[in-house]
Parts: sequence; C-alpha cells; structure tokens
Amino acid sequence: MKTQLSVKSAALALLLVLAFVISWELYLRHQGVVTDYDDGPELWAHTREQVYEPSDKSIVFIGSSRIKYDLDIATWQGLTNKHAIQLAMVASSPRHILTNLANDPKFKGKLIIDVTEVLFFSNRGNASPDAGLAYYKERTPAQKLSFLIDKPIESRLAFLNNGKYAINAFIGEMHIPNRPMVYPFLDFPQGFGITLLNRQTKMSADFVTDTNKRNKVKAIWGLLKNDPTPPMSGKALDLVMQSVTRDVAKIKARGGDVVFTRTPSSGFFLMAENHMFPREAYWNRLLKETGCKGIYYADYPVMASLTCPEFSHLSPAGAITYTHTLVNILKHDKIWGL
Amino acid sequence: MVFNSYTFVIFFAIILGLHNLPISWKAKKINLLIASYLFYAAWNPPFILLLWLSTVVDFFVGRALYTQPNKSKRHLLLIISLIGNLGMLCFFKYGGFILENFVTLSNAIGLNYHPAKPNIILPAGISFYTFTTLCYTIDMYKKKSKPVKSLLDFSLFVTFFPHLVAGPIVRPPQLVPQFETPRTATGQQLLNGLLLLTLGLFMKVVCADTLLASTSDIVFSSPGNMGPLDAWAGVLAFSGQIFFDFAGYSTSAIGVALCLGFILPQNFLYPYAAIGFSDFWRRWHITLSSWLRDYLYIPLGGNREGKFRAYINVMITMLIGGLWHGANWTFVAWGCLHGFYLWIEKALKDSRIKKPHLPDSIPLAPVIVTASFAPVLPGKSTGGFLYALFTFLLICVTWVFFRSATFAIAWRLLKSMAGQAPPAGPPLLTTAALLQVAIVVSLMLAFHWFMRDTTVLKTSAKLPWWLLGIVWALLLILIILSQGTSKSFIYFQF
Repeated sequence: MKTQLSVKSAALALLLVLAFVISWELYLRHQGVVTDYDDGPELWAHTREQVYEPSDKSIVFIGSSRIKYDLDIATWQGLTNKHAIQLAMVASSPRHILTNLANDPKFKGKLIIDVTEVLFFSNRGNASPDAGLAYYKERTPAQKLSFLIDKPIESRLAFLNNGKYAINAFIGEMHIPNRPMVYPFLDFPQGFGITLLNRQTKMSADFVTDTNKRNKVKAIWGLLKNDPTPPMSGKALDLVMQSVTRDVAKIKARGGDVVFTRTPSSGFFLMAENHMFPREAYWNRLLKETGCKGIYYADYPVMASLTCPEFSHLSPAGAITYTHTLVNILKHDKIWGL
Repeated sequence: MVFNSYTFVIFFAIILGLHNLPISWKAKKINLLIASYLFYAAWNPPFILLLWLSTVVDFFVGRALYTQPNKSKRHLLLIISLIGNLGMLCFFKYGGFILENFVTLSNAIGLNYHPAKPNIILPAGISFYTFTTLCYTIDMYKKKSKPVKSLLDFSLFVTFFPHLVAGPIVRPPQLVPQFETPRTATGQQLLNGLLLLTLGLFMKVVCADTLLASTSDIVFSSPGNMGPLDAWAGVLAFSGQIFFDFAGYSTSAIGVALCLGFILPQNFLYPYAAIGFSDFWRRWHITLSSWLRDYLYIPLGGNREGKFRAYINVMITMLIGGLWHGANWTFVAWGCLHGFYLWIEKALKDSRIKKPHLPDSIPLAPVIVTASFAPVLPGKSTGGFLYALFTFLLICVTWVFFRSATFAIAWRLLKSMAGQAPPAGPPLLTTAALLQVAIVVSLMLAFHWFMRDTTVLKTSAKLPWWLLGIVWALLLILIILSQGTSKSFIYFQF
C-alpha cells in the first residue's frame, strides 16, 4: 500500500493553479475588466494615517459614497495643489469618522463633510466606519507590511476584486430567491465602482453608456423604498445635531476648519430625499448650529445642471465638472486660501 | 503575523531558505529563535518583553526546582513560578473582568465604588505560552523530566513560532529533544507539511471566513429575536466556523513545523464525529484537554477519591477550562454545560456497566477516563452516526454561550432556536446563506464521520497521484478565489 505523497502530485497542483490563474485573468481582461483596489479597512486605514499632513497642503474629505464618486481627486489636486485625503465610506454615515478626527488632538486640518441625508441623519450605517476605525487603531506591523505587499499585486491582477470575483460574490450573483422581506445581496453591475489607490471611485465608460447596467443600479436604489424606517426627527435629531456641533467645535478650537457639501442626486432619489429631509429642517439647521459654510449643489447653476446616471452618483465627466465648480466656489469665497 | 497573509508567505520562504543552508545547527536554532521573536513582534513589539521575562524566569526556576534538595525551598520556587505565570495571565487577561465583578459585588452590598475602566491590551497568545511554560516548571517540580540544558533550546521551545500564538500546546518532552540534534525536513516531510499548510489555510480562509463567518456574525449580532431557521443556521454556522478556524490554525502550524523538520502534536481528530462528550474531548483541542487532565484534574484527585469527588473534579476542570477561553461568565457557562454533559454521560455509564476502577495514568480520555453515554462505542454504524449527530447538536447548544457576548443574547438565541420567541422583524438570512451553511456543515459532518479513524496524510497517500494533485489544486484555487483579507484567528483572543 502506498504510504507517501508523490512529488508529482505537488507539481500537478502547481501547474493547475498557474493554468487557472493565467486563464482566469486573461478571460477577465478580454471581457474588459480592469484592475482596481479593494475598498476595505486596510486601504481606509492607510489613507487615515495621512491626515497629519500640514493643513496648508492637504484637505480631508469624509461622507458617504457620493463624494467618493463626485470629487475627482486628480482635478482637485491639479487646481488646488492640495492633497485630497479621501476618507468617505460607501453606504455609511461619516459621523463616527468625524468624531474620531475631532477627538484626535494631532488632527488640525481642514475637513469637507459631504451630507447624504438618509445616511448622515441616521443611527445606522456605522458598521463600515467602525470597522475601519478599529482596524486603524489595532493595525499590527505585520498588517501594514501585508498591505504594502498586497497593493502592487492588486494593481496588476484584475481578478483580485473582492466585490465581483470572490466566492461570496459568485454565490450572490446566483440570485437564489429569498424569503419575503429578506435583505438581498446587492449585485452591482461590473463597472459601477472602480476604486483607485487614492480611494477615488469611478464608473467605467461602459457603465455610463449602458442603459441596462444603469437601470440595474436604479433598481437597487428602488429597494430603499421598502425601508419602513421614518426619517430621523425629534430628540434623536437633536442629539445628532449636538454631537456634530461638538465635534466641529473641537476641530475649530485646534485651528482646523470644516465645510459641508451636499452633492447632486437625481430622479426619484432626489424626490424622495427632498420629501423626507426638507432642506430647512436638516441642511439649514446643520449649518446654523455648527456655524459652518455649506455648499449645496442646487444653489449653483453648473452643479444643479449635473445629472446622475443612476440617480445617486456622478459620472467621471460629471465629477470633473463638479470638482471644477467646487474649487471655484471655494476660491471665490476665499475659503482656506485657495 | 497570521499564516493567511502575504507577510507570512515571504517570512516563511526566508525561514525555509535559511533553515536549509549549510550552517551549524546552533546557527539554525538562533535563526529560528530570532524568526519566532519577529513573528511575535509583528503583533505588538513591546509584548516581546513579557515573553522574554516568562522564558528566562521559568528556565532558571525550572532548573532550580529540579536540583534543589530542600523541599520547602522547592515549594517556594514553585509558588514563585505559579505566581509569575498566572499573575501575568490574570493581570492581562482577567484584570478588567476581576475589577468589573468586584465593582458589581461592591455595589450590590451598598458600596458606591466606581473606578476608572482599565485599558489593558491582551498580549497575543498569552494563554498558550503561559500553559507551555507552566507545564515545564510543574514537571520540574515533580521531576517528571530532566531540565532543558540550554537557554537557547528552552527559549525556542517556548517561542517556536508555529505553536506560539494558538497552540498546539506543547510539552517539553514533545519538542525539546527535537532541538538537540540537527534536523531539516526530508522531501516527504516537506510535501506533507505543504499539504497540511494548504489544508489549514483552506479551512480558515474558505470554510471559516468566506462561507460561514458572515452568517454567524449576522445572527449573533442581531438585536432582536428571530425565527428558529435563522437561529439554528447561525449556531450551526458558528459550530463550523470555530472548528475550521481553530483546527485550520493547528493544521497550518503542524504543516509549517513539518516543513522545517519538526513534529508537533495532533490537536484535532474529527471532533464532530465524537460519540459522547468524553470522546469529543479526546478529539477537540486535544493538547488543552490533556493539559487540563494532567495538571488540573489529576492533581485535584481525579477519580481516585470516590465517585462524588470525581464528579466535582470534572466540573472544576471544565469551569476553569471555560474561563481559560475568555474573561466572561459566558465562557464559564460554556464550561459548566460541558461539565454537566460529562456528568450525565458518566452517570449513565456508571449505571449500566460495572467497570473495574482505572487509574488516572491510563490515558484513554483527556478528562474522564471511562464515561460515554453510548452503551458500547458502535464505531462506524448507523447507530454510531446517530449518536455522533446527537452529540454534535448538544455541542451546538454550548457554542451559543461561547459565542454570545452576554447571557441576554444567549438566552434570546436559545429561545429563538426553540421557536419560543416571536421574531422581532423580517427573516435575517438569505436563501444562499442558509444553503451555504447547510451544505458546508453537512459536508463537514460527513467528512468527520468517514475520517474519524484515520488521518488526512494517510488518506492522501492512498489516493492516485493525479487525483491528489487535482484536489490539492482545487484547495489552492478556492483559497485564491476567496480573496479573504488577513482575518485574525478566533483563538488568538484566548
């Protein structure tokens, strides 16, 4: 009876793995898939450690997904010569990140906070920021080194895409029918979100022109209509306003500054937001209580004319226009010496 | 540093290269020791000082314990070692827990005592290396083995990176002799080691992290009641996750050591194929349960002092075993439930068969020697399988306490599993998640059952070379496709 492993088994395994990896990568490249980065806690933590750059040379951005799409970092840096540190997180509220920056005595910089009302004025959506903050706080030297090794690999292999080509993504894409009311797997089409190393998120050109893909994302946003949670109000809203005001005051007390932005939305998304979160009761109150400058896209004709292809985020071309206009407004109002 | 990371791949490749250089054995051991300290420092460099302290103190105390002829001085030395090791463990692991309970007790008797919450960071693997060094000094006290000759060998025994952070918990006679003579892996050992490393990573990255972790996290972090289907799926998912996570680490550790030519003890033996709870403890975290048997259960009196004391000793052992896992009463409840199961099993067994008294030295079972609720171990029969399934389901109930952060969560989940709690909201889990759990857990149980009397390496060696090559490739491809981030192993927190 055989009692030993054969070296031929190991050689065959190695050969099959190499054949699979090369074929899979070539196939995806042939399908037009491009390389991008996993927008997880590792990349976020790597970006978070950059906030201590001199405040006259960098500006930090926090928010939800919209500012990740709508701020074109290359355009911003070209126009302002200031490093844009993108700390926004998709599908989340930026409030815990704001608190973290406010409580960090070493952070004395300038901050732009983008407000997506349904997430900002909510006590949900803190899972990703909390995970990112915990990872940043507890990162080990080994994890930092793994990040440095991982990023060059990720930048060369298209199949390394956790959201699209990992086992769990394949299972989710089977669309097995669920029991009623179960929160489904959100199958965003390929090209909807390509993340760069600086955490800029972009739609692919193919996505922007493909009506079918855009409609798929609109249908996902449509699921939000099923959420029975009413907009935040009363005591809960008071607490949020107080917390944000307190955090902003801490940053200002150290010589930093804060500007709020409201990036564009379109279609039923915009209608629902206007209906559920009237500007006077939420946005205007936020600016009044914090004493900060606010840039609401609808107040500026160029920004107001922008349309989101899937109702919630700007296309790369729209992002360039938005960023140009944002910089112009900041320069016109002589904010932060731009 | 975790095995499932790029850093480890590079680290291991360098170590493997250095270990096979034509240099002296002492130089190779120094390389391994430095590598082990680097491996540990990759978590939190300052904690390496604790490791040094523990190593140096126990090396010299151990030697003195063995050579000191004066009995009272030997007692004193043992107490110093116990206080040093257990004191460090108590401070770092149980400091907050002890204070919290003291405050609760003080407040209960009317004292208004509210100290600041301590901010103590738990050094990785402290429970494991404390047990490793403790068993050395206790063995020296009992003169069960000879003192380690050199500080280098002792340091390497304590710090050897494959077992340092999450076991297997090694005893000096298992590892120290391997450091005394030059060794590198044979070609066969290298192949075996690489296969075990692949299997261990597959268990951790694919089965635990990718296929089961999110379902278990959703269910155990749910704030309200849920339907029995969701509750059971979450608990079954955790049962699979904890096995794949921990056994995955042990398998990787054994594989890594084997690639360097060292043999570590087996830590898991298909525990979900266990028939009864004493059988389960023969198969689950074997090095811990045998440690508890030899250094706690037997010193307490084992089953030498009558039935009643044996029952009490079992319970004490399981309660301390529970507390070893974490500073929370839920872990104590987990241990208590296992102790209770072992009581029932022993009572059933005692009522059925009158067996001659067996001395503790017969190592049939790690904790209890003769207990088993099955009348006779039926082996691989349908009856045996049903007993194993019943054992598994009762063990799943214990995992509820193990995984829940509070008793409130545990009770809520148990009530939901029994269908006694009206769901607080819509169903939690997608059909895909339910199917994932059903398929993975069923395959796991089937695999455990068919493999219960053999080992992976024996079975692999019997396969045709091309079939093993395909299976090996499949494991690697699934690891690559999981694209998991370097998630920490659950047992690191213990």
